[in-house]
Amino acid sequence: MGRRVFITGLGLIAPHGEDPESVFDRIYQGDSAVRMVRSGTVDFGSDLPLATADFTPKDRIPKTQQLFMARASQMAVVAAEGALQSSGLFGVGQEGPEDGEIGVYMGCGLGGAEILQEGYRTYFVRQSRRGRPSTVPMIMASGPASHISMRFGLHGPTHTYSIACASSTVAIGEAFRAIRDGYLDTALSGGAEAMLNDGSIAAWERLGVLASSHTDGPEASSRPFDLERTGFVLGEGAALLVLEAESALQERAVDPIAEIIGYGVSSDAFSLTEPHAAGQEAAMRSAITDADIEREEVQYVNAHATGTPSGDPIEIEAIKSIFEDHASNLAVSSTKSVHGHLVGASGALETAISAIALQKGRIPPTANLTDPDPSCDLDCVPEYGREAPELTVAISNSFAFGGSNATLVLRKV
Amino acid sequence: MRAYPYLAEVLADKYDVDEDKIRPEATLADLGLDSLMVVEFLFDVEDEFDIEVPDDRAEFETLDEAATLIDELIEAKGD
Repeated sequence: MGRRVFITGLGLIAPHGEDPESVFDRIYQGDSAVRMVRSGTVDFGSDLPLATADFTPKDRIPKTQQLFMARASQMAVVAAEGALQSSGLFGVGQEGPEDGEIGVYMGCGLGGAEILQEGYRTYFVRQSRRGRPSTVPMIMASGPASHISMRFGLHGPTHTYSIACASSTVAIGEAFRAIRDGYLDTALSGGAEAMLNDGSIAAWERLGVLASSHTDGPEASSRPFDLERTGFVLGEGAALLVLEAESALQERAVDPIAEIIGYGVSSDAFSLTEPHAAGQEAAMRSAITDADIEREEVQYVNAHATGTPSGDPIEIEAIKSIFEDHASNLAVSSTKSVHGHLVGASGALETAISAIALQKGRIPPTANLTDPDPSCDLDCVPEYGREAPELTVAISNSFAFGGSNATLVLRKV
Repeated sequence: MRAYPYLAEVLADKYDVDEDKIRPEATLADLGLDSLMVVEFLFDVEDEFDIEVPDDRAEFETLDEAATLIDELIEAKGD
């Protein structure tokens, strides 16, 4: 047994806003942040349901720093500041390296997507070889982690995990392990993703996985486990967690939000885009074993379930396979129904939501689940959140294109 | 000195340099610009005046020297 690891701070730039408590409340109410958004131009482009974050770096990041930061990095540093403030650690790195040996473990899928687009526009459309000199350092997927390290003077390891939709779950899991195993006392960990630029959206559209608008409006277009689901809604944002060892915590008067007790990963070795129940099951099993708990102790699953016709039933199959008879006791919800799929930031946002769910004893619903798919026949918490004062253990799943699966196990403090 | 006022304006507006510090004898390093910012700053200047600063001539020290170089390049372009 290694050291215990606690979540002591949260910072969000989410489609539902920035204050973790009110973001959770809106998600608990099933209040969708999905809106219809025009990409491209009036003549060339498309209207799609998306979950954008209402975020501007103005007055929040010094102007000269903003100049060299892609949107994902900007959101990451502001969310990181929120996380540090809520944990009471803000300003910790300012006294010098000894004081700031905090790790940064971030997930990011695409990096500075809009900056890459601008570079290509200059080259191909303007027929100019004179793109911005800072294009390369701005498009790196590791940008968000680097900027957090620089801005807050954090001198520990600065790692980025770019594993598509599992990126930030793996980032948190690896930070958890580093702390548990004694390599680190404190880490800022999470994810950032901002690829709602025209070129990226067009590429996603071609993959055929995005939700079309529902007859009840764009707010109803993300509907995991529902018979009328058509795909997922892309979102953007950043979610940062402060993770601390019990020993670090004892030195400060801070109430942890939740404890992370297990982490498991697996690879499908199967398909670039098709999900695979055996791999998902392996990640969940590994995480539960890592947590050293009985599977019957798990009460809530924050599902990966993105709302694609093929993906949701596979996750249900994997959950049934690992939990067997206990599967019917589980509450399984997909909060992507209201905040969309933040890809590299998704796992971190959902881990944050799961942590608050444990803290409040409230299970968030799968919104828009009005006509359940018979192949998703578990308790998927349709439409309405649920008071659950006895809620003690939750897991959060993230399954990526490329077949990487990751699960975190959280416990109420 | 066509370029100097523009250089001073960009440094103050875009790079947030304290206007009191922007003097002809100041170097870009004095003004807090790191190497990436210097390259980006030159890019702004090139765009503004539609010139190209050859790599072997981008070795000025002070703002005054930079402005002189830019002025020469503008003149060479024949505007």
